Amino acid sequence: MILRRAQYEAAGRVAAPFLATLEAWQRRLRPRRAPRETPFGPPLESTRKLKELMTAHYYQGRYADGAVPVAWVTSGFPVEILRPLGFHGVYPENHAALCGVRRIVPELSDAAEGDGYSRDLCSYARTDLGCVATGKTPVGRLPRPDLLACCTNICQTVLYWYRALAAHFGVPLVLVDTPYVYGEAKPHHVSYVRAQLEELVAVAEEISGRRMDPDALAEVTRKAKEGSELWGECLATATNRPAPWTGFDGFFHIAPIVTLRGTDACNAYYRQLRDELRDRVSRGIGGLRDERHRLLWDNLPIWFAVREVSTLLASRGFNFVCTSYTNAWAEAGSRVDPADPLGSAGVAYTHVILNQDLRHRQETLARLARDYHVDGAVLHSDRSCKPYSIGQVDLKERLAADLGVRVLLLEADHNDPRAWASEQGDNRITAFMESFA
Amino acid sequence: MRRDEYIREQRERYGRKAVAVLPVHHPKELLTALDVLAVEVWGPPGAPRGDDAGRIQSYVCPVVRNALAFLASGGADAAEGVLFPHTCDSVQQLATLAADFGGWRKAAFAFQHPKGPPRPSSRAFLDAELRSLVRELEAFSGHALDPARLDAAVRLHDEIDRLRASLLDAGPRLALSDVELYALLRRGEWLWPEEHAAELRDAQRAIQGEGARAGVPVLVTGYVPEPMAFFDVLARAGAFVAGDDYAAVGRRVVRERGSATGWQRVVERYWTAPPCPTRSADQAARMRHLEGLLESSGARGVIVHGVKFCEPELFDVPAIRATFAARGVPVLQLESELERELSAQAVTRVEAFVEMLSAGRAA
Amino acid sequence: MSVAAAIGVDAGSTTCKAVAVDAAGRVLARRVEPASPRVEEQAERMVAELRAEVGPAAALGATGYGRKRIRAGLALTEITCHARGAFECMRRPGVLVDVGGQDTKVIRIGSAGEVVDFAMNDKCAAGTGRFLEVILGRLQVPLGAVAEHVRSATRAVPVSSTCTVFAESEVISLVSSGEPLEGIVKGLHQALASRVAALARSAGPGTDVFMSGGVALNLAMVEALSQALARPITVVPEPQLVGALGAALSVMGASRGARPRAV
Repeated sequence: MILRRAQYEAAGRVAAPFLATLEAWQRRLRPRRAPRETPFGPPLESTRKLKELMTAHYYQGRYADGAVPVAWVTSGFPVEILRPLGFHGVYPENHAALCGVRRIVPELSDAAEGDGYSRDLCSYARTDLGCVATGKTPVGRLPRPDLLACCTNICQTVLYWYRALAAHFGVPLVLVDTPYVYGEAKPHHVSYVRAQLEELVAVAEEISGRRMDPDALAEVTRKAKEGSELWGECLATATNRPAPWTGFDGFFHIAPIVTLRGTDACNAYYRQLRDELRDRVSRGIGGLRDERHRLLWDNLPIWFAVREVSTLLASRGFNFVCTSYTNAWAEAGSRVDPADPLGSAGVAYTHVILNQDLRHRQETLARLARDYHVDGAVLHSDRSCKPYSIGQVDLKERLAADLGVRVLLLEADHNDPRAWASEQGDNRITAFMESFA
Repeated sequence: MRRDEYIREQRERYGRKAVAVLPVHHPKELLTALDVLAVEVWGPPGAPRGDDAGRIQSYVCPVVRNALAFLASGGADAAEGVLFPHTCDSVQQLATLAADFGGWRKAAFAFQHPKGPPRPSSRAFLDAELRSLVRELEAFSGHALDPARLDAAVRLHDEIDRLRASLLDAGPRLALSDVELYALLRRGEWLWPEEHAAELRDAQRAIQGEGARAGVPVLVTGYVPEPMAFFDVLARAGAFVAGDDYAAVGRRVVRERGSATGWQRVVERYWTAPPCPTRSADQAARMRHLEGLLESSGARGVIVHGVKFCEPELFDVPAIRATFAARGVPVLQLESELERELSAQAVTRVEAFVEMLSAGRAA
Repeated sequence: MSVAAAIGVDAGSTTCKAVAVDAAGRVLARRVEPASPRVEEQAERMVAELRAEVGPAAALGATGYGRKRIRAGLALTEITCHARGAFECMRRPGVLVDVGGQDTKVIRIGSAGEVVDFAMNDKCAAGTGRFLEVILGRLQVPLGAVAEHVRSATRAVPVSSTCTVFAESEVISLVSSGEPLEGIVKGLHQALASRVAALARSAGPGTDVFMSGGVALNLAMVEALSQALARPITVVPEPQLVGALGAALSVMGASRGARPRAV
């Protein structure tokens, strides 16, 4: 146990940064390709740091089980509560997205489908259940969970998915069930969430064998709030013309606020990123060399085609300057209060965008569109995500009518390339861009 | 009688308001006690019609797609309110889509039942949520919840469940076809409960001796028995439903007899209903329940009769397959898109499945 | 010459098949035609032709989608009939993969020729013969030349879409981007094989895998499926006729009051 713990600490503090540095050196030693004609601006310096941070996180994860308590956590879970108890958090959604980017989802999904999971189910869930069944992962190894931590504020799907994980691993599942907000959250809805957080503390204390230190909880909460605000500051730099980065950069730089929320490393990273983005703004450096149109993106990214879609758009000067997806993690912080960690978490985690009605969604999209001065929007109609996608047909018409912008409803899937018709998709995006001429 | 005519008749004759109710679980005892008629909307079957049919993407469950088209085309206009239980992401989104973006202009209520096995927090929440719903329904109906009426309503629904259970459990002793049985049970989705109870009492005469029904007994689990032609196909192939775990039917029959009365019994009924994935029941508990149904019904095969894109049901399919494979019991998966008829391929599957079970018996 | 004892008709969605068998189950005569919308007339004519060839057979068994529209002594699903027919030919238990025009079936056959379990593709044509037919037609590759194309391919060009409609456009764009036709055809076979293999995965190790249906005549497809399942596959002799054979054998068993033969 002590040895395992030392290994875990060493993996995080020494080995992972060393690996990242090694990789950076190898990259430098490789013969440089001739610079291609690219529509993108100069790459962000912070990206290297991002890779280091995430490599370290996953590398350390390999040695986590047996060393520290391990929780598998949904992206919308109040992870602040687990950190003071020493949990290592694994984010199956983030890991599944990584599998999506690496294009290994079909084989993982095949394994899940072989076990009887329908192809009509969420592709994140199929990816993760496929990883669990086969042990295949691009990060070497995922640590076995001691606790499954699931919050339904992003969808009910995660609960069905985590029930399956609980049955597979035979470990406890803690649920934070967040009633959906139609108009206003009712007082008994908020107190229900708070009561569940108190139950969560008791379960997590038992598994970790530690008592919750209220000061540590307040401190993690403060850091999480700060991290969320820093992330918001990064995003807000794109209100400038030209935007200093692309919305697709944002899809990748979101990883720390999702997986490392409430840690110093997360906040240090976003300070660096924010400063770099502000510096680019002051020097007029854009995410695109020639930004001609500014777009809003709604719904999850199409992980396996991010590069393909962004390059196609960038080739004609279209940039996604804001997305409702990346914005969600910037908004969470405003309701968090370190003086009342559990109470404010109950309110904050109930009011995430996917747990609020479509009027709220429409207002959020309209506000983003105005603040970021967009002249068009792409609503990704995501076969795998019902809560994010139902209502988009109406949202498309309302955004077009209310804001006078062009809107494209683009049917795809966030993680399964077999549900994406590249030719048809490119064709629709091109036709959409032609309509701006 | 058409449902909208029935709703109008109930209003004219008894001054009763009607609420259209989306699937699955809702505290019907409270509606009965407040003299509100519940009329359930399971789709309805067929391709979604009208201008609003395209407002929900084709990769969403047909129950929700059809329901929006139905509400928006005025199909439920005879009702004066609609109740959306917190069944799944799709019903949840339908609630805001119809109420906020068009499709339903009258009163809209939500019943956000808790998920997962009971915990102190969710027990307290259910109580508060039910009380909150009562306050809204009191304002809607113009009646205050009267303890004596509530007690009578709870006893009535307990009796309805007892009568439904005895019909569902009769198996080969039931002198009704599945089509007749399910037509009767599903009339409970819209009849005033007193009338439904009277029909169920009357139907108990159909419970006779062994051999009233012949064929291969099967266990059916799934969402809703649509199309009802499924039962004809099953009967022609030589099988009948001996065990029922449809969300629309058997999973809403409370079999446990508690000692509580009145309000406490409403709460108790919720927690003792059979395990349902739309309430995120513990998966192991659900498998034990299904195994119990298999044993008590003598079923020789299991048919999983789901609705396409229904996540809560689909996520349990691997566990169902594994549970019954371990017992050597064949499982057939059948997926419905709320068509009016079963496809030729689905008919073939059912027939082949029954042929397989029949051969197994001969051997 | 043997006397015909029974006739089986398999009225499928793409082709209609009929066989006449003698009392020992040997096939005496056969017919295969593209399916006509008028199943009754087509089946009646094919049966009359067989009777003219081998003499009036005693009983008629029907299977396939059109089975109920045929006046026959016994109508059974193609699942039961394929198992029966394949067992007659192979004489051992195993897993039968039948890739037909409109649907694909994976049938686990027990040691007495009975159906132990079966699975079918979902509604779309993704895992069926139709998938290949549509796309090969679009590429103007005649079915007879498919095996040659696949053999000569130096590598498979991956086709990620298994949806017939998506794959069609994907393949067209692969052609226009200069990918070799042979490699694309090979990639298509692999895509279909992976879809079919997903259904057949339940076949435990050491189980014999048989293949029937019209697509089994395409040796490139047999090879692709064999690779996807990582085990050899035996094609049932006259794979297109397996269902009709099973129907004939079943009606013969039924008319004698016997259950399907036990080993």
